Amino acid sequence: MDGLYPYIACLVGASALYLLLRPGPLVVKLLGTVVGFSALAWLVVICSQVVPGEIDPGHEILFLIFGAITLSSAVRMITHSRPVYSALYFVMVVLSSAGLFLLLEAEFMAFALIIVYAGAILITYMFVLMLAQQASESDHVDEVPLYDRLAREPAAAVIVGLILAGTLVSATTTGLTHLPDPVDESVMNRVHGELLEQLPRQFKNAVLATSPDATWPPTPDSSGNMIRWDAEGPFVQFGTEAVRIDPDQMPSNTQHVGWSLVASFPASLELAGVILLLAMFGAVVLARRQVEHGEDELRRDIGLDPMHPDEDGEGTSA
Amino acid sequence: MTLQLATTFSQLSLSHYLVLSGLLFVIGLVGFLTRRNLIVMFLCTELMFQAAAIAFVASGRYWFNFTGQVFVIFILTVAAAEAALALALVVLLYRRRSTLNADDWMELCE
Repeated sequence: MDGLYPYIACLVGASALYLLLRPGPLVVKLLGTVVGFSALAWLVVICSQVVPGEIDPGHEILFLIFGAITLSSAVRMITHSRPVYSALYFVMVVLSSAGLFLLLEAEFMAFALIIVYAGAILITYMFVLMLAQQASESDHVDEVPLYDRLAREPAAAVIVGLILAGTLVSATTTGLTHLPDPVDESVMNRVHGELLEQLPRQFKNAVLATSPDATWPPTPDSSGNMIRWDAEGPFVQFGTEAVRIDPDQMPSNTQHVGWSLVASFPASLELAGVILLLAMFGAVVLARRQVEHGEDELRRDIGLDPMHPDEDGEGTSA
Repeated sequence: MTLQLATTFSQLSLSHYLVLSGLLFVIGLVGFLTRRNLIVMFLCTELMFQAAAIAFVASGRYWFNFTGQVFVIFILTVAAAEAALALALVVLLYRRRSTLNADDWMELCE
């Protein structure tokens, strides 16, 4: 019976989403909002009952705030009838998930997300939206087209979503109980130490900051690691003399990400560059051909021969 | 100890993030199925990318492995490339029919 609770919570959430998707009076929308938030709260309770582990209350409160903002802006994005507002609500989703990334101690990704997603990709979307809106609504300005106001098959879509969400949530809650215990502090310390040893200049500066007259290099321990840890933090050993390293000198999140990116995935990095280049070519080629087509039509309208007769024939027959 | 990354991240926290990412993905899917505006449909795919990114970063945090964040960089790349191509196609379609309604292009699926 307990296994059914995630599905029931998702059913409640899905009916809330259905109320919000179909056109209706304000009361129905408010009811949908309240029901949706209670389904979310129920899911949080189910998680904390089934999955083992402690959670820091401050972290939990911030997670709940950011998560609620993310999900409610996402729902508002798919229910809003004006595409420009949908795009703005997506910016809200991006900003609050950047907050979640900060909670996950992924500072670099949080700001990269804001700059690339909210700053670049969404601006492109807004450009195209404004371009299209302006022309289609020039004769009746405040009218939202019918296809933007009416959802297509909201009941069927919500049922599909309900099945997927129920499966995902119940798989998460039951599956995570079988995970091994989270990595403890010693593993994190080892990961930090290993990266610092790969960065010779930073390593040397960190050691020489506390003991300027040490004779390089430090003595490695039995497993070959130069950086050792005790209760007070990292230190290196020169013969018998121990030299402390300031914990602030340990590699930052950005250094870890950069190291993983360049050391583990160099080919994927090149491939990403090729993908971006091809996408740029593709966009230029797609847009350019249509402009020429438009020019030829203009020339025909004023009685001139088309500039590219062969392409024009292709364009009209396609 | 005053290390930035020296706090543990339990299964419970991971389950919160994974459930959030699953729900965000489902909202994106429902939006893709219900909206008729081509541009909003592509925005919904971006929402699904976002959900995947949250799952990647949360799992990477659980294992204390930075590959999750590296994959988010690739997600950003693919999202940017997809946005450029998809919007070029939408502009192309819009110039032909002066509408963003996906139903007007039903003959493309026949």
